[in-house]
Amino acid sequence: MRSRTEPSQGEPSRAAGALARYLPIGVLLLAWELVTRLGWVNPFVFPPVSEILLRWIALIGDGSMFTPLKDTLWRALTGLAGAIAVGVPLGILMGRQRWAEWFFEPLFSFAFPLPKIALIPLFVQWFGLFDLSKVMLIFTDCLFPLVVFSYHGAKGVSPIYVWSAQARGASRWRVLRRVVLPMALASVYDGVLVAVVVALLVAVVTEMVSGGSGLGQTMIRAYRYGDVRTAFATLLTISLIGAALYRVAQALRGRFLSWHVGEA
Amino acid sequence: MTTPRRTWLGPLASVAPLLIVLAAWQLASAAGALPKAVLPALTDVAKALAALIGSGEIFPHTLASLARAGIGLAVAVVVGIALGIAMARMRVVRLAFEPFLLLIYPVPKPALIPLFMIWLGIGDFSKIAVIALGCLLPVVTAAFNGARSVDEVLLWSARARGVSERRLLWRVVLPATLPQIATGVRTALAISIIILVSSEFLSSQEGLGYLISSYGGVGADDSMLAVVIYLAAIGYALDRLYLAALRRFMSWHAFAH
Repeated sequence: MRSRTEPSQGEPSRAAGALARYLPIGVLLLAWELVTRLGWVNPFVFPPVSEILLRWIALIGDGSMFTPLKDTLWRALTGLAGAIAVGVPLGILMGRQRWAEWFFEPLFSFAFPLPKIALIPLFVQWFGLFDLSKVMLIFTDCLFPLVVFSYHGAKGVSPIYVWSAQARGASRWRVLRRVVLPMALASVYDGVLVAVVVALLVAVVTEMVSGGSGLGQTMIRAYRYGDVRTAFATLLTISLIGAALYRVAQALRGRFLSWHVGEA
Repeated sequence: MTTPRRTWLGPLASVAPLLIVLAAWQLASAAGALPKAVLPALTDVAKALAALIGSGEIFPHTLASLARAGIGLAVAVVVGIALGIAMARMRVVRLAFEPFLLLIYPVPKPALIPLFMIWLGIGDFSKIAVIALGCLLPVVTAAFNGARSVDEVLLWSARARGVSERRLLWRVVLPATLPQIATGVRTALAISIIILVSSEFLSSQEGLGYLISSYGGVGADDSMLAVVIYLAAIGYALDRLYLAALRRFMSWHAFAH
């Protein structure tokens, strides 16, 4: 917004900022390239960065990266969407209703430190080797940050706002929709940002452990063939979609919460 | 987190929901509503856990897992604190290491396991290396942010009294940064267990993750669940122990009330 009013000043400093930020990474990649090209390390074990990029382009180009990418993304997003649909209402209920807080809060507190991926064998047994067990584990793991952040968000809403709405005769439902929900939204969204990261991580781990296509399985197959280039290229894809998902989630946050005090 | 009423019923009230769920689990199993193939009875899981502990079978696996996670975490804490503070205080160090950290930041760390298995084999070394790398980021970030935000007044007043730069680091910067580091290490502790279990699922002959996947593989669900619960208890106990240690050794700081 600000750069539009004074574009002549905004643009160069922004470009300089980007340069200052990405130049060191460029230097690092160049050093990586040089060290491997000079033969200081075994290129089969640690290939030059240019060859990894070429492999990445080749894998994208011939379409062989597409199916695993689609599978991983689909699983992560389905699990995440389910967790948002269940976790946010549950967390808000816990924040507003005594009985729900009494019952669920200790359960989530107890189960929080449990590494949920330890449940992979159990989930495989319950939901099979394929998509469902993976999606269900992603759902379960994402549920925790969403419930906890929504709960704290809803609980932190100052009673003064609730009272004043009630005093004006707002119904329970209306208080929830017009007061509690908007005020809890910032915290809910912090939970979404955590869950986005968790969703991709769990998707990749379940694919590595129980197979069935996806980028995680591509990594494991590359390991079995000792194909470091494909492993690096797949890692690049995973990291890129991780960064992209996070950016999209952040951008949506800015859109939904632009009115919020926390969003300067 | 806070109980609404602080009476003698307080602790009981917070355990009650858990007891209700466990009782419902046991009742459903006993009534035959929950087939053994889906979920073994709670009592069977308890028996399996007692057998695993009684026979001593679980202890070498515990030791193997704790050693991997512990060494990886320790390396990350030592390197992370040193690197984070050095990056905050010396521009050269920051320029040299920041790109590396930015590059590995968006990588879901367990996805590095296959690469490290190619480089370092499927033994302990590759697991420890991924754990160390995964735990490094929260520690470095915490130490860096902490050291950068040390109150300048503290530094000036120490310098004005003729304190050497080295002593300044040990007596002023490090203590002032510790609270932030403590939070970073707690995150790292949780990360270490996640990477540990993932790596032991993928390749291992020993360790709690191996035990879970091998019991799961042969359909010994009661033993598998027993190890899962045992692992959760260890994770929980480590976190509590860490917080208790913080409260004891950092009692001077406000956050450890």
